[in-house]
Amino acid sequence: MPDTLLDVEDLHIHFPTDDGLVKAVDGISFRLDRGRTLGIVGESGSGKSVTSLGIMGLHHGTSARITGHIKLDGEELVGATPARIRELRGSRMAMIFQDPLSSLHPFYTVGSQIAEAYLVHNDVSKKVARAHAVDMLGRVGIPQPTTRADDYPHQFSGGMRQRAMIAMALSCDPELLIADEPTTALDVTVQAQILDLIWDLQQEYHSAVIIITHDLGVVAELSDDILVMYAGRMAEYGTAEEIFDDPGHPYTWGLLGSMPRLDQERLERLLPIKGTPPSLINVPAGCPFHPRCRYAELTDGRAQTEIPALREVAPGHLVACHLTSDQRRKAQAALAENAVEAPAAQLTQGEP
Amino acid sequence: MRRPRTFGLAALGAAAALALAACGGSSGGGGSSGTGSSSNASYNAGITSVVNPSTHKGGTLTFDWRAAPDSFDPGNTYYAADWDFARFYSMALMTYKNCPGACGKTLVPALATGPGVVSDKGLTWTYHIKPGIKFEDGTTVTSKDVKYAVERTFDRGVLPNGPSYFQVLLGGNAAKYPGPYKDRSKNLMGLTAIGTPNATTVVFHLAKPFSDFNYLVTIPQTAPVPPNKDTGAKYQLHPISTGPYKFQSYQLNKQAVLVPNTQWKQSTDPTVSQLASKIVVNMNMNPNDVDNRLIAGDAQVDFAGTGVQAAARAKILANPSLKANSDDPITGFGWFFYIDSKVAPFTNVDCRRAIEYAANHTTLQNAYGGPIAGGAIGSTVMPPTVTGYQKFDLYEATTKPNGDPAKAKQELKACGHPSGFSTGIAYRSDRPTETQGAQALQQALSQVGIKTTLHGYPSSTYYTNFAGVPKYMSSHNIGIAFGGWGADWPDGYGFLDELVNGNTIVPAGNTNIGQLNDPVVNNLFAKAAGLNNAAQRNAIWGQIDRQVMKDAVIVPIVYAKALIYRPSSLSNVYFQQAYQLNNYAVEGLKS
Amino acid sequence: MRPRRAPARTVVTFIIRRLIGTVFLLIVVSMITFAIFFLIPKLAGQNAYQLASEYVGRNPTRSAILQVEAKLGLNDPIYLQYGRFLKGIVVGVHYRSGPSVTYCPPPCFGYSFRTGLPVWPQMVSDIPVTLSLAIGASILWLVGGVSIGVLSALRRGTLFDRFSMGVALAGVSLPIFFTGLIALELFSYKWPIFPNVQFVPFTQNPLLWARNLVLPWIVLAFLYAALYARLTRAGMLETMSEDYIRTARAKGLRERKVIFKHGLRAALTPIVTIFGMDLGLLLGGAIITEVTFSLHGLGLFTVEAVQNQDLPEILGVTMLAAFFIVIANLVVDILYAVVDPRVRH
Repeated sequence: MPDTLLDVEDLHIHFPTDDGLVKAVDGISFRLDRGRTLGIVGESGSGKSVTSLGIMGLHHGTSARITGHIKLDGEELVGATPARIRELRGSRMAMIFQDPLSSLHPFYTVGSQIAEAYLVHNDVSKKVARAHAVDMLGRVGIPQPTTRADDYPHQFSGGMRQRAMIAMALSCDPELLIADEPTTALDVTVQAQILDLIWDLQQEYHSAVIIITHDLGVVAELSDDILVMYAGRMAEYGTAEEIFDDPGHPYTWGLLGSMPRLDQERLERLLPIKGTPPSLINVPAGCPFHPRCRYAELTDGRAQTEIPALREVAPGHLVACHLTSDQRRKAQAALAENAVEAPAAQLTQGEP
Repeated sequence: MRRPRTFGLAALGAAAALALAACGGSSGGGGSSGTGSSSNASYNAGITSVVNPSTHKGGTLTFDWRAAPDSFDPGNTYYAADWDFARFYSMALMTYKNCPGACGKTLVPALATGPGVVSDKGLTWTYHIKPGIKFEDGTTVTSKDVKYAVERTFDRGVLPNGPSYFQVLLGGNAAKYPGPYKDRSKNLMGLTAIGTPNATTVVFHLAKPFSDFNYLVTIPQTAPVPPNKDTGAKYQLHPISTGPYKFQSYQLNKQAVLVPNTQWKQSTDPTVSQLASKIVVNMNMNPNDVDNRLIAGDAQVDFAGTGVQAAARAKILANPSLKANSDDPITGFGWFFYIDSKVAPFTNVDCRRAIEYAANHTTLQNAYGGPIAGGAIGSTVMPPTVTGYQKFDLYEATTKPNGDPAKAKQELKACGHPSGFSTGIAYRSDRPTETQGAQALQQALSQVGIKTTLHGYPSSTYYTNFAGVPKYMSSHNIGIAFGGWGADWPDGYGFLDELVNGNTIVPAGNTNIGQLNDPVVNNLFAKAAGLNNAAQRNAIWGQIDRQVMKDAVIVPIVYAKALIYRPSSLSNVYFQQAYQLNNYAVEGLKS
Repeated sequence: MRPRRAPARTVVTFIIRRLIGTVFLLIVVSMITFAIFFLIPKLAGQNAYQLASEYVGRNPTRSAILQVEAKLGLNDPIYLQYGRFLKGIVVGVHYRSGPSVTYCPPPCFGYSFRTGLPVWPQMVSDIPVTLSLAIGASILWLVGGVSIGVLSALRRGTLFDRFSMGVALAGVSLPIFFTGLIALELFSYKWPIFPNVQFVPFTQNPLLWARNLVLPWIVLAFLYAALYARLTRAGMLETMSEDYIRTARAKGLRERKVIFKHGLRAALTPIVTIFGMDLGLLLGGAIITEVTFSLHGLGLFTVEAVQNQDLPEILGVTMLAAFFIVIANLVVDILYAVVDPRVRH
C-alpha cells in the first residue's frame, strides 16, 4: 500500500547473556500508515521498548541479534549500515523518552540541544538553527521561547520539558515519531496536555506515531491501532475500537479489568492480573500467558504445550489464544455483566 | 709581570715535588713548569699520595652537597667541610700543610708570616701578617681587619654558629664584650683582648695559657673582614674574599658560583691553588644523586666528604675501575659508647671494665657499616690520625674482637655483681648505626648476665636534654650512652679535652658523658697546657688516652672510615688528615 | 515575567565571601602551626633555653645560648611571639642583624632561625621551580590520564582496558622515590638521554628548562595519570549509560560527538574538582619528587625547614601552601559552576 510508512515483519531481537538467551522480542509484525497512530501496550518486560529501539537502530553496538524485517518507506533497516541508520535517525524517524529530565543533557541549554538535532541533518548556520529551535519551542506551546531557549533543562517544569523534548524530536520534521511512555513521568493534568500536543502536531505534520505505554487510558485517546505485547510476542492486534469494544485475549481482559473506567459503574475494586511477568530467558512453554490465565485449563492442555498462532477473529483483528470463539464470547459476557471474571466452571457449563 | 708568575709556578711545582718526596709518594708529576699531568689513580692512593697531580688551569670544578652551609660567612660556620672550602675565599692566620699523610697535620702560616710568638708566660701571642695582601676589592688587609673579624663573632645573636673558643680563652673585656654591632667604641675596636700596634701586627691576650693557640687561629674566624663592608647576617651572601676565588653569585640554599679573585697572588699564598676557572657548589641535593653524578662525571667533589651512600658503595667496590677512583681513609672521627661513672654500679671501675671485655666489637663494627663503611675496630680513644696517638689495647678489642666473656665475668665478680646487673643504654634513634649498635651491645652484654633496656632519643636534643644531662642519666638509671667525637684540630687536646677533662662536666650539653673526674687525667691536661714544646705536649696526650682507657669510661667502637669517590677528572686529590676530608683548596680539573 | 538575577554580581559576591573566609582560614592555620611548634616540645619538657641551643653552633657557651634565645624571642610568651609574627605579615619588621637596621616589608614571614635572612624572598625564589614542576606534570597527567580512561571505558573488557588499568594500578601503587630513582638510573646515568638534570629557569633557556624537567614530569605525572585514568574510566562508564546519551544517539549524532560532547563533558565534572585540589596541593610543594630529583622548590624548602626546626620557614611555607590550596578550591568551585549549570541556580 502506498501509504505504508513502516512495515515490521517477524521481528526477533535476542540478547545472549551469561545467564542465557534473552528473547526480548520474539516474532512481531505490524504495519503503520502515514498519519496513523499505533499504540503498543504491555507490562514492563513485554518487549515494547526494545521493539522501538530496534526500529531506531539503537541496539547497534550492543550484543543484540536482530532478525526479521523493518522497512521504513520501503527501505530495509535490518542489516543496513550504521551510517545509513544514523542518517535516518532524527531526520526521518525520531523518538522521545519517558523521563525528559534525565533524557536531556543537563549541561547544555534546551535551545542548543534542539539546534544540535537540527544541525546534524541540515547544513545551515548556527544562527539559523537557533532560530529554528526557538520556532519549534513556540510550536510546542512554550511561552517566551526566545528567552526560554537559553535555559537549562532543570529550569523547566516537567511538562515543559517534555514539550521541549517533543520539539527536539520534531525539529527535522520526521515521518515517524516514536513516543516511549511520554506521559508516565508527568502529572495527570499535564498528561492530557502532552497527548493533545502530540495529536495536534501529528495533524500538522501528517507523521506516523507509535505510542508505547502500559497505560490503556493513554492509548484509548490517541491510537488508531493497538498492539498488545506479552513476553516479547504479540497477544492481540487490532483497531482501537475493536480492542476496546471486543477484546479477545485474556491478557487484554486483565488489562482492561484492572483499568478504572468512567463509562462503567463503579467497581468495588480493581482486578489486577495475578502473577508476575515471565522471565524472557525461560519463557513458559506453549502460551506464555498460561501460568497467569484463568482459562488455561479449558484448552485441554494445549496452552501448556502449543504456542498459540495469531488468528483473525474479525477483519484486521488478530488474537493469539487457544480459546474457541465460543469460550471467548461467554467469558466476555460474564465480564461485562458483573465485571468479575467468570469462574471457569461457569463457562464449561455453558450458562450465561 | 711575567717573572713572578713563573716564579709562582716554580714554587708550586717545587713544593709539590717536595711534598711528594717527604711523604714517600711515588710517581713523577710536578716539575717546574708546564701543565704536565699524569694518572696514578688506584684504590686508597689518595691516603698516602697526591692523585692526578696537575697544574692544568681551567674548567669548572663542581661541588655537589646533600646539605647547605650553616653559613659561608667564615666567622659563622662550624662544619669541617665549610672550613676546608673556606680557604678558597678566606685566609686565616695559620693553616695546615698541603700533603697527604701525617705531615698534613703540620701547622704552616697563611695570612701570618709565621707561628705566633709567645710571651708573658704564655698569655700573649703575637702574629705578624704578610704585607700587600688584598681583599677582592683591592684594599689592603690590615691587622684591624683581623681584629674586627674576631670581634664580630662575639655577637652570638647575629652570628650564632661558630665555635666559642675566643670568647672563652681571651682575656681583657672578652667576657663582657657584646660585639661591634652593639658596641659603640671608637672605630669599632672595642675588644681589649686583641691589640693592633701597627697595620701588620695582631696581639692576642689570653685569660690563661693555652699552648694550642696556633691551632685556634686556623679557624676561619680569624680570616680578615673589612669593617666597612660587614653586613652582619647578610655577609654570608658575599664574603669579601682574600683567597684565590670570590663569590660571583649565591642563591641561598641552592647554588653558589665562585670565580677567580684577580687580587689574589700565588706568591703570597702558596697554601692554596687557583686552577679551575669556575667553582660551582650545588646544595641540598639528593645524596644518591650526588653519588651518581660523581660517577657519571657531572660533578667532581662531594662537598660533605663523609663518603658515598650504600648503593654507590656497592657499585664502586664491585667495579675495579670505579674502585681505583676511591679511597677509604680513617677520617679522624671516632665512634664510641660512654659508661657513666656516676651511675651505679658503674661507680666501681671493675663493673666498667666488665663492659669493656663483654662488648662484641665485631657485631658493633658491623652495626656501624663493617670495615669499609664503618671503620676499623678501635682500642684507644684517639684515632690513629690524631697527633699524640699511641697504639695500645687494654681489653683485647683487636685480639679478641668477639669479646671475652670469661674475663668479663671475672670483672663482674670483682665489682660484686657476679651474676650481672641491670642498666639502660641511650642512643640516637634516628641514626641506624647507633640503633643497631645498641641492639648488638644489648645482645653481647646479656651473654654475661647484664640486662639492659634501650632508650632511643632524637639527635637534635640528645645532648641538650638526655645523654648530655648528668641528672637525667642518673635518675633514669642509664649507665651507657652512644656517641661519637671529632676534634676541631688534630691533636690530642682537641680530641680529648671535652671528652674526659673533669673541668668540662656541665649540667646540660655535657660531652664528658663518662663524668670522668680523674685527678691524674686533669693534672696531665694542666701540665700540657703549660708546655710549649710540641713533642713533650704530644707525648702527654697518649698518656691521657691510656689513663682514660684504664678508667674504662669510654669503649671505642670504630675509628671511622669513609669511602670517598674521586672522579678521574679531578686533579691534586688526597686525604688531608687535618680537615678529616680531602684537601679542597688545591684541587682542579685534570684536563 | 520571570525576574532574572544578574549572574555577574552573584559570582563577585561569591568570590569576595570566599576570600574573606580564606583570610580567616590562614589565620587559623598559622595559629595551629605556632601551637604545634611550641607546645609539643613543651610537653616533652623542653624549655626556651634548650630550644635556643638548637640554633647555636656546637659546644656553645651559656651566654651564647642566652643571646640566641633573646634574639629569637624564644622566652617571650607565645601570644607575644605570635603577635610579632602577625605584625610582620601586615606591617613588616625592622630587624637589626648586623651593623645596620634592615626593613622586611609586608608580607614579612620573619627571618630564618638558621641563616638570619628573610624567609619570604627565599620562598618566592622557590616558587617557579614548584610551579614548573606542578603545571607541566598536571598537563601531562590530565591529558594522558583522561585519554586512557576514555579509551578504556569505550573498550571495556578488552585487552587494552585490562592492560591499561593494570598499568594504572602500578602507577598508583609505586612510590615516587622508587620510580624517580629508577628513571634517573636508567635515563640519566645508564643511557644519558637526560644527563645532568638540574633546574634551569625558563627565562634563561626554555629548551633546557623543558628537557631537564621531562623526567620529573613523567615520574610525577605517572602517579596521578593512573588515578585519573581510573576515575575517567569510571565516570565515562557511568555517563555513557545515562539516558541523555541515548537521546543524543536518537538524534542521529555521530558516535564521536556522543562520546566527547555528551559523554566526556559530563564525566569531567568530578575530574575537574579533583584536579583543582591535586594541583593546589602540589603547588605547595611536590616534596618527594623535588627531593628525589634535587629540585629546589617549595617541597625541598619544606623538608629543610622541618629538619632544621626553623620556625619562620615552617610557618611561611605552611601558610603559602594553605593559601594555594584555598585558592585552588575557590577556582574549582567557580569552575564547577561554569561546567555544571545545575549548580548555579
